[in-house]
Amino acid sequence: MEQKVVNKGIGWGGNTLKEMLDKKKQLWSDTGCYYGLQELSLSASAPFKLELLHARLLAAVIAGRETTRMISAAPQVREVAELAVALYTPEGDCLLQSTGIIIHITLMGQVVEWMIEQGYEEEGINDGDCFTSNDNAISGLHPPDVYDITPIFWEGELIGWVGTVIMELEIGAVVPGCMPSGATDRFSEGLRLSAEKSAENDKHLKSFERRIRFGSRTPDLLLLNRKGALAANVKVREEVKKAVAEFGIDYYMGATRELVELERRAQLERVKRRTVPGKFHSPTTIEVDLTRTIAPPTHAIGRVTLIPCDFHIKPDGRYFLDFDGTGAWGWHAANTTPSAIQGAVSMILTQTIAYTGNANQGTSLAVDMNVPYDSFVWPSTPNFASGWLFSWPLSGGVKWMTQQSHAFFCRGFVEEFRSGVTTSSGVFGAMTGKDHLGNDFNFLSTEAAGCWGGGAFATRDGVTASAAFMPNVDMGSVEIWELMLPTLWLGRKLLPDSCGWGRYRSGYSALSTFLIYKTPLLAFDTSATFLEDKIYPNIGMFGGYPSQGAFSKLITNANTKELISQEKPLAHGMGNPDQSDLEKNIDGDLTVVTRGGIFVDSLAKDGDVYQCFYGAIASGVGDPIKRDPALARKDLDNGLLGIERCRSMHCIEAKYDQETEEWAVDEGATAELREKRSKERLAKGIPAKEWWEKRRQHLAEGRLPRLLKVMYNESLTKGQRWPGEFRRFWNLPETFTFKED
Amino acid sequence: MSKISYSKEVIRDLIEGKLPWSQTKSIISGYKDEDRFDKYVEVLQEKVAWQEKILLPLTHELYIVQKGSDRIVKCSCGQEFGDYRVNWKLNALIHVRESEEEVKELYPYPSAPDAEFCEIREFYCPGCGTQLWVETVPFGYPLVFDFLPDLDTFYAEWLKRPLPSQKEFTDLTCDFIAQNWAE
Repeated sequence: MEQKVVNKGIGWGGNTLKEMLDKKKQLWSDTGCYYGLQELSLSASAPFKLELLHARLLAAVIAGRETTRMISAAPQVREVAELAVALYTPEGDCLLQSTGIIIHITLMGQVVEWMIEQGYEEEGINDGDCFTSNDNAISGLHPPDVYDITPIFWEGELIGWVGTVIMELEIGAVVPGCMPSGATDRFSEGLRLSAEKSAENDKHLKSFERRIRFGSRTPDLLLLNRKGALAANVKVREEVKKAVAEFGIDYYMGATRELVELERRAQLERVKRRTVPGKFHSPTTIEVDLTRTIAPPTHAIGRVTLIPCDFHIKPDGRYFLDFDGTGAWGWHAANTTPSAIQGAVSMILTQTIAYTGNANQGTSLAVDMNVPYDSFVWPSTPNFASGWLFSWPLSGGVKWMTQQSHAFFCRGFVEEFRSGVTTSSGVFGAMTGKDHLGNDFNFLSTEAAGCWGGGAFATRDGVTASAAFMPNVDMGSVEIWELMLPTLWLGRKLLPDSCGWGRYRSGYSALSTFLIYKTPLLAFDTSATFLEDKIYPNIGMFGGYPSQGAFSKLITNANTKELISQEKPLAHGMGNPDQSDLEKNIDGDLTVVTRGGIFVDSLAKDGDVYQCFYGAIASGVGDPIKRDPALARKDLDNGLLGIERCRSMHCIEAKYDQETEEWAVDEGATAELREKRSKERLAKGIPAKEWWEKRRQHLAEGRLPRLLKVMYNESLTKGQRWPGEFRRFWNLPETFTFKED
Repeated sequence: MSKISYSKEVIRDLIEGKLPWSQTKSIISGYKDEDRFDKYVEVLQEKVAWQEKILLPLTHELYIVQKGSDRIVKCSCGQEFGDYRVNWKLNALIHVRESEEEVKELYPYPSAPDAEFCEIREFYCPGCGTQLWVETVPFGYPLVFDFLPDLDTFYAEWLKRPLPSQKEFTDLTCDFIAQNWAE
């Protein structure tokens, strides 16, 4: 038990929060154990008592999350449930978490730590306060993810914090939505709430409410979400107080620290039992194209940035991520930060290896990183645009998750292997103009959030709806979205032939088709999550491919009213890919958009039709021609696979039986096709040495796109280790760089 | 609590994707079996026609095996790829999808990677023509060494049974290129 001192700080035992934070860090540095706990006396003496407390607190944060959903009016919260609630120690370390957008769990704690370092205690932290933050220079993933954080006091001393994160769909940025393609610095991304006090005595400050009212295009939704978050925080805080009253404050404080240290040790042990030590590697490339949006001319460029990443599993079970060789940060929304990467680490570990319900700060303490300052992964300005900070976390991070899966596979835990869906280029529809009620209107439709086809498993196909950042996925009811948007859904369907091909294929993503409804003017921003349009993510595993990326189509001046009056067909999905229903049935001017992060050139109005394939890129696993014909037949029967690609990708011959309305596999023809394909591969594949000589020649002569030369030069200039590896692989001079045209 | 353990038949069906989902789900949700690695290797060893001892399965088709005093990568068909510390892709056949037609085969809809920027590299086993891996990386990126296991740490410290001889845990790929490919 900690000795109490004469009251001078608001923290437990009369310590200041800064003293508690410093002490925690010192003890960690001295002992390598959380809070210096080398003996775990509470769990050793009465493990079930500790478990009981943990379960009580866990139930509180889960109930808190549901409370918010009942109060909010935003479909993003009520339907899609993009929120999460977590409990923290006084120093900001996560103790436990609800389900939801758990990438933010560690990050809300980092806001608490920042507040302590900034001296908020001297300015005043009181029971009933709430602090609100969406400032990603402090911590976070992007501005629409708003954190509401409430202190928990017991007998006048601060014993913890509760935080709720909600994703907002409009935050008053330079263009509508919440992660606009054209925002290139923080000043064009709307409301900036830098952990400011938003409530006292559990009631929002009028000044805060006025700031929101004048700072967003949908203030009612934003404010009601704040009320929901505050309600969740109050609910959890009161439940914590009840637990403290029952268990005693000394037990509670000791238990919170033991729970973190227990989890840290458990994580190391899990790694040793389920993986194989060693080194993994993969590059990630993130593209930016600001030439077709509203970015200022000084920022309106296209670029590609390289993020090579080594992932080590160390002999002691620790993970180490090394970002050496990462390229430069820039004035665009797709940089990332150490904080965002830490969020990804916590999120991915919680779902893949630390899924016991006990994941907390201890899980993350078992991970080290080398994140170079003044690079794409750590910009050297607090004013970087932050709309897509999850660039590496949701692409490279997902690859990292797949690498961990590879380690599970090598160890024999094939059932735990899951390849990734990167979320890259998984476009949303940010809209601006007039809504169906005649109001000026700006919104981001996120019906697809988390509902992309997932990566394949080692022994089965990927699931239909999946995303690393949203474990419990939900597209929401169309009827609720239609209340908010000037669009009527004509259909939601899976897109045939769009999977990541493999022995086990990835899941299929959805295609939505909308009739534009009662608006005279509507513009679309294909507000991507981030771009991997030219270079698909390197996520194929064991011979499988990455899946189809996103695209959208808009038909303006459409003749839908005429078609409806004549009771003729519209379009509800893709139909025949070679001549889609959209193009076959509806006359008008067609615009096809194959890139995220741009404004669609044409403006839409009532009666026009917009179709969007939310294709995040997911991995297939294994050689596609080793696919079990029975699985392919199932896909044929379900209309997910066309016979042409069944033959070309899987080398499976099948015939459709008109009577039974089912496909039948021709085993003999299939065997022939497969044998023929193997021979073709042997004939067309060239020895690696031959390829290496040819490609080296290309590089030495600078025969590659200028954007890639700039990309490589940034990494060759900035890196310490990676540049040597690149040059040695290609047998290039020690000082080699590309000449930029 | 007694230790969890599954029969070899269950592990075999699990690996081959033949185990009923209810059983697979129960294995996912349950405590992990401590003897998994040994049973896994035993099942895989029975599946291959060659005799070298499997030290570590790498993919559906590739294994690190003990061959004399060497540790090499070997395909299920018997094709050998050399020292496990040299990226096995250096001894594979490569095909890069460069034409629009070849890219379109994979991606039939309007969006697709740009072959000028993105190399879709397919790696085939020279012995059996199996597609062992696909890379989608920026044009000119070195072959990706996906995983170099620290085998001695794994066997000595984690499994508590050291391998007969030690090998330095180091990536030898660039040494191989310098010695064999560079003029």
